[in-house]
Amino acid sequence: MREPLFRAVKQEGAGPVRQLMAYGTAVLLALAVGAALLAVQGVDPITFYKQMLTMGIPGSRYPWRAVENFVKLFVPLLIVSLALALAFKMRFWNIGGEGQFIMGAFWAGFAAMRLGERLPQPVMVLVMALCGALGGGLYGILAAALKVRFGTNETLLTLMLNYIALYFLQFFAETKAPWNFFLDPGSARPKFAKFPGSAQMILIPVGPFRLNLSLIAALVLCALIFVYLNYTKRGYEIAVVGDSPSTARYAGMKVGRIVIRTVFLSAALIGMAGAFHMSSAGVMSASPTNDVGWTGIVVAWLAKLDTMGILVVSLLITVLQFGCQTASAAYPSIDANFANLLQGVILFTVLAADLFTRFKIVVRGRKEAGK
Amino acid sequence: MNDPLNVMTLFLFNIVLMNIPLLYGTVGEIVVEKAGSLDLGVEGTMAVGAIFGYLAGCMADSLIVGLLAAFLAAGLCGGLFALLTVSFQANQNVTGLTITTFGLGLYFFVGKGIGEDWPALASAPALAGGFAPVEIPLLSRIPVAGKALFSQNPLVYLGIVTAALVWWYLNCTKAGLRLRAVGEDPAAADSVGVDIVRYKYVHLIAGSGIMGLGGFYMALNMSGSFEGSNCWINGFGWIAIALVIFANWDPLLAILGAMVFGFFNTLQIYAGALAGAFPEPLGWLSSVPPQLYKALPFLITAIVLVASSVRKREGSGQPAALGLNYFREER
Repeated sequence: MREPLFRAVKQEGAGPVRQLMAYGTAVLLALAVGAALLAVQGVDPITFYKQMLTMGIPGSRYPWRAVENFVKLFVPLLIVSLALALAFKMRFWNIGGEGQFIMGAFWAGFAAMRLGERLPQPVMVLVMALCGALGGGLYGILAAALKVRFGTNETLLTLMLNYIALYFLQFFAETKAPWNFFLDPGSARPKFAKFPGSAQMILIPVGPFRLNLSLIAALVLCALIFVYLNYTKRGYEIAVVGDSPSTARYAGMKVGRIVIRTVFLSAALIGMAGAFHMSSAGVMSASPTNDVGWTGIVVAWLAKLDTMGILVVSLLITVLQFGCQTASAAYPSIDANFANLLQGVILFTVLAADLFTRFKIVVRGRKEAGK
Repeated sequence: MNDPLNVMTLFLFNIVLMNIPLLYGTVGEIVVEKAGSLDLGVEGTMAVGAIFGYLAGCMADSLIVGLLAAFLAAGLCGGLFALLTVSFQANQNVTGLTITTFGLGLYFFVGKGIGEDWPALASAPALAGGFAPVEIPLLSRIPVAGKALFSQNPLVYLGIVTAALVWWYLNCTKAGLRLRAVGEDPAAADSVGVDIVRYKYVHLIAGSGIMGLGGFYMALNMSGSFEGSNCWINGFGWIAIALVIFANWDPLLAILGAMVFGFFNTLQIYAGALAGAFPEPLGWLSSVPPQLYKALPFLITAIVLVASSVRKREGSGQPAALGLNYFREER
């Protein structure tokens, strides 16, 4: 049979220098593609990128406000990416981040509207986080249990659950009825009511800046997950199940239980991110996710599911998204969607770069080196 | 206008008219999945096919050019997916989702970039004429069904023919049989001499191209008016992925499935009119929340998915190696 034009041959661990070179080149290449596209639209790429990277903060009248908004975007993305990586490490393809986030947001909102008047702020914010975690976690368990029990394809099932959750939430957003306590009774059109004051996220004043408590929570979670994955038995079990379920079974691990437990944890964290987002926003929304369930998958993958890597990558992707939003305000022909385009190109080039770190390329007709 | 028969006819006519893109998307994804690849990029692929197909069709003022451009542009997305997942062994879920992100990003980038110079469908009379209904002699005169089924635009008929041809290809040709072998057990197919890489490339490109035709259809059905906030595809790509499961990976069942899902999609718009026209039997329709109609395709699919896994894949058309990359050295 004819040999293909080029093929990949596995190679073990490329050195850090080679990895850095490969990924650095990939990102630069993606930025160059973006620059070319900008130039075609008649936008000066250098100016645009400069505005994007500085996120309009210098020269702004309220620079701290921009940082606060940046944090609001960053926290959900960080938590969701970390959570998804937990499931991905086990090769459980949880692409239901959107749905779990929505369910978390919904139940957090439920708690806020029902109990908000009665509880003091610190208790209320905590209750919301727990309700969100439980709502998201149980929604995730649905797919995990079916996967474990019947082998249901979790990729497709969690995908369907995303849309079921979305329309579930929209039903409450768009139905004007006496029983619907989510809506503002004063408005003739269906409109979400603001949360009571105690359900708003706690903001710690640091000079002119108001530090969002959920940022601290997210960083703590990041550290906890790092420890959990690297230094605990349960974390180790996740890695073994991901590598080979049959090895895990042979070693006496209860694979089904590990899968369900880990997916619950993953989905619960995503639900909690939804709850944090609700508290920070102070009001429900019919589409609260800002695509974080999808972007989280990209972030987790770009970071190779590495906890510290996710911290860095989610920060960079937030800069990209928030920066594009601010920079594009000055140009009628560009909008925030340019961030998606660029993010796509970056992922393509990075996936291609993966090849050069994990595999050697053998071109047809040439001898494999060293053989 | 409020004549009950008229309302019913229009309702049925619109079920077909508005939901044929689902069929294109589904048939394309069936081809892709039969090759063992789960491409979650349908939404983005359709968007890319839509915008480039529409622009090329307008420029050349020709339906054929539009179809070709849509097929090619979307086919390139499929080629990219194949390059990354087949040659570069990248994860299929991540690559597919990125195709969607990228495709939608590109759609808005191109649309916004053209801005004021956006071509109206009216500026391309031959293209618009090509999308006009064609009445099939005799059959179109059947009451109700004649209007709903036999007075549609040519792309409706093309969609049905495509589905039938793909069914024939998968079930009655040698290449189709081999393709299914690639999706079921690539190692076994490889060992009997099927060129896995070539099969995957060809079918990922062709399947994505078919999705692109659905996108082009949606562009024409929206009269090509570009809105900055909403993409023409509007979630149909995701419904198509659901529909593949509902249709059990069978292109002929996909025709039926597209009509079932289309029924709910269209009911959402026509519930009020139908309740008004038939107050006695259908009056309750207007009290059903519209979000339920939107959720139903996904709800039904989730149930089908679970039910078929409970039955241990017996009779399921789901390829066994779906979503798994094939790396020869690990055979």
